[in-house]
Amino acid sequence: MVSPELLAACRRGDRRAFEELVRLTGRRVYSLAYRMVGDRQDAEDVAQDAYLRMYRGLTGFREEARFETWMYRIVANCAITHLRRRGRFGMVSSDEDLDVPVPDYAAQRAVDRDELERGLAALPEGQRIPLLLKDVYGLSVREIAEELDVGEGAVKVRLHRARKHLAASLSQGHERAGEV
Amino acid sequence: MRVRCEEVRELLPELAEPGPRPAGPVEAHLAGCPNCSAGLTVYHDLLISLAEAREIDIDPPADYLDRTLRAVRFGMWTSRVPTLADVRRASDRVGATLARAPRAGYALASLGGAAVGATAIAVVWWRVARRAVTGGAA
Repeated sequence: MVSPELLAACRRGDRRAFEELVRLTGRRVYSLAYRMVGDRQDAEDVAQDAYLRMYRGLTGFREEARFETWMYRIVANCAITHLRRRGRFGMVSSDEDLDVPVPDYAAQRAVDRDELERGLAALPEGQRIPLLLKDVYGLSVREIAEELDVGEGAVKVRLHRARKHLAASLSQGHERAGEV
Repeated sequence: MRVRCEEVRELLPELAEPGPRPAGPVEAHLAGCPNCSAGLTVYHDLLISLAEAREIDIDPPADYLDRTLRAVRFGMWTSRVPTLADVRRASDRVGATLARAPRAGYALASLGGAAVGATAIAVVWWRVARRAVTGGAA
């Protein structure tokens, strides 16, 4: 997505190169921000914060191969800061949803993309954010634990619950579709 | 050792992750239990769909990119103006350097003293010269 030459130019402080990087990654950054905060205006604010942090941090960035992961981590960090400011961080840092529904495996069909997005959006924040960062954006459990400031064990528990929750909500959607 | 369906189902979200699974009683159960095997397929498909979702961007509002670029340009400009924190950091760095190398402090103090002395001499010289010029005119 972003060439090593463009990254090198950004690191040298080339502003035009950085603007090109924003054009190339803008939609991807917005998508992650939106999936995390669930609001269009908030997602835009998060994206702008993230780019300013990237601009300041790029001079010290040396791992070109890991650029996307680095970018996702910055966006996630900005989104978590944003949720914290909005008083929603408690929902991110704790996972009190102990009542995880059981999926109906017999009702499952191919995963519909819109249903998947709706299922993701309906997850509690404490489960949605680890699931997004691990299963959609490919961060490691350790990286997610660092961003959320919780232990790796806690991240694994939330991932487990989030997957069950999502599988259950998708199977319920299929059942409802079957009834119609 | 045999395992029950309830135990295996509790492991399915993790067993569905990509990569080899260790051989053992759970694997043997999956091979012989169509229900648990179907459950594993469900989670496997779910993880594939989630990974694919990364490549599917959500449409941002109109002018999002323009607004973001404007904010970034403004941020790039303001990031060049030193903040109070930058000044404080620079001052801390000078303090730390002086603490590590007291001789550098002496050198800095001597240089400062020399600069102050030279300025004082120049001012005195300039005033004397001006007085001589204005006195000559009177």
